Amino acid sequence: MTTDVRDILDLEQAPTPELTKEAILGTTADKQKKKLSLSQPAPKSSRRPEGMHREVFALLYTDSKDAPPLFQTDTGSGYKQMKAKLGMRKVRPWKWMPFTNPARKDGAIFHHWRRLADEGKEYPFAKFNKQVPIPNYTDSEYLQHLHSEFWTRSETDHLFDLCRRFDLRFGVVKDRWDTAKFPERTIEDLKERYYSICGSLTKARAGSGTPETKVFVFDADHERRRKEQLKRLYDRTPEQIEEEQSLLNELRKIEARKKERDKKTQDLQKLITAADSQTDPRKQEKKFPKKKLQHQTRPRIDTNALELAGIKFPDTKTTGVTVRSQRMKLPSSLGNKKTKVIEQLSQELGIELNPIPTEQVCQHYNELRSDMVLLHELKIALSTCEFELQTLRHQFEAFAPGKTLTIPSTLFGESQGGADSTSGLSKQKAGSTEIIDVVGSPGAPSNN
Amino acid sequence: MALTQEIPSESGGRVKGVTIVKPIVFGNYARYFGKKREEDGHTHEWTVYLKPYLNEDISKYVRKVHFKLHDSYSTPNRIITKPPFEVAETGWGEFEISIKIYFYDPNERPVNLYHILKLFQGSEVANAATLGKHTIVSEFYEELIFQEPTQNMLSALSPQPPLTTTPYIHHTNFEDKKEKTLASILVAKNKIRREINEYKDKLKLAKETISKFKSEIAKQQLKNAATSGVV
Repeated sequence: MTTDVRDILDLEQAPTPELTKEAILGTTADKQKKKLSLSQPAPKSSRRPEGMHREVFALLYTDSKDAPPLFQTDTGSGYKQMKAKLGMRKVRPWKWMPFTNPARKDGAIFHHWRRLADEGKEYPFAKFNKQVPIPNYTDSEYLQHLHSEFWTRSETDHLFDLCRRFDLRFGVVKDRWDTAKFPERTIEDLKERYYSICGSLTKARAGSGTPETKVFVFDADHERRRKEQLKRLYDRTPEQIEEEQSLLNELRKIEARKKERDKKTQDLQKLITAADSQTDPRKQEKKFPKKKLQHQTRPRIDTNALELAGIKFPDTKTTGVTVRSQRMKLPSSLGNKKTKVIEQLSQELGIELNPIPTEQVCQHYNELRSDMVLLHELKIALSTCEFELQTLRHQFEAFAPGKTLTIPSTLFGESQGGADSTSGLSKQKAGSTEIIDVVGSPGAPSNN
Repeated sequence: MALTQEIPSESGGRVKGVTIVKPIVFGNYARYFGKKREEDGHTHEWTVYLKPYLNEDISKYVRKVHFKLHDSYSTPNRIITKPPFEVAETGWGEFEISIKIYFYDPNERPVNLYHILKLFQGSEVANAATLGKHTIVSEFYEELIFQEPTQNMLSALSPQPPLTTTPYIHHTNFEDKKEKTLASILVAKNKIRREINEYKDKLKLAKETISKFKSEIAKQQLKNAATSGVV
């Protein structure tokens, strides 16, 4: 059994096989070994000798370890059949006879052995001699339909002659082309002429009464281009092949980069949209009337935008009793980095980490933190943009030495003013008055 | 307080579309003995409590409160079934107390609150510390939200007449805190939104600049190609 498994798994035999007489003989002479194991059916020889196939061995020794029969059992149903059992029919006689091959025109006679019964029958391989029907044309037909300004009559005749001789093997036809009398022609030229003649002939002969016959059209131009292409491909030097490979790699890289850039731009657009809807949904409605529908459904906070960038607080619609402060817990999916950002920003702004959990505080606090995350993402996006701009500028400088592109100064740096706002100081002032306004505005708690 | 009652419709024992909010206050006050007690080394006496924020009978909807003290107490699990829901003890250390609130209707799942027992003066409770005989007070405001309560629960939660006629006040001025917190959050929110706007505009500008740069580069490339082609 184990030997079977070993054999199936292609494992080696036990590392140190016993050095028996059979083993040694097995490596040297196969036949002798077989004889040996047959004549010596001792229990120790149930080991399969090296080099003997498992199946063969299984015929001699089965797993059940049956002892081989002691007596000769010549009942006729044993493993061996001493004589081949041949049919009892009469022997059919063979005869050495002459034959002719109809493919040959010279009428040569050869001899071969054949059954007497087949005498006089046709040579059996004659049917493989297929003839290609090559049309003939008369003088009038040639003048009427087949005239060509590039081919003379004699050249055409030569072509058809060769075609007939070599059964349309155009490669051979080209090889045997009589270059002494006629100009050099390519295989495509030959084919084109031949098939155009075949086509015109069938068309001319079909006349009006007979049904339309199929005409083979040979597209010589296409064939020429194809061969030219192959030739060029074949004629490339190793350097050219290498260059092509590297160019292809470059192309792949460029495409990958383009894809990445597109994705980035898309993300950026998403962020901007999120920022738009979060800061002033009404303004955005005016700006992008196309997106009106989306905002009409939820005029106060655009949940889509919150999902895109910001925090998605778990749904609190479940029934039962909950604690308000539970709703201010940051979702665990937020990640450490963003949590840190929120903590740091909250500290800077003087906001408690666990403010008093009223409904309003809960809502605004959650929105605040969502905004914080959005701001953080915007900042990251801007820094990537900055990096990209720098890269682009360097690229430009490389292309146009001496020239440069200017990155708008409002983009980066610490200036508080946006693209359209006034100087930093007055902006700050405006901000502080706004803050006071907000505190006094109806947005303040009204339930006291 | 905020009772947003719509047309209640019975469905599966719960009243749909109803959300009731009950504000509560929980925390502890503590007093220093002045010295370490000889027999057990305790230094403070303290009381941990749960009470309604408004002047109402909390036992109408709270069946019992389970205060789980530190394991070093001989009976750390204190279950209080009648108001006032509080546990008075003595001790020497601060630890986290778990306050589990069981509701009138057992179908409502209990709610857990956690409170860090405060015995020692900290910066946060400095203002409350001077009140009364208690040297230290640490209490927190919380709101219990009953989302689609059961029918039984709903009636238990219905508004009740004030428990006492005397003014009902807490150590901590929560109304003031609410106002200030909300105000500061709104200020922060405004600031962040302004910054968001600013960055958004910057981003837009950056995007435009990027595409401008790209087209410039493309132009330059074309020009270069043209000149090199001529040469």
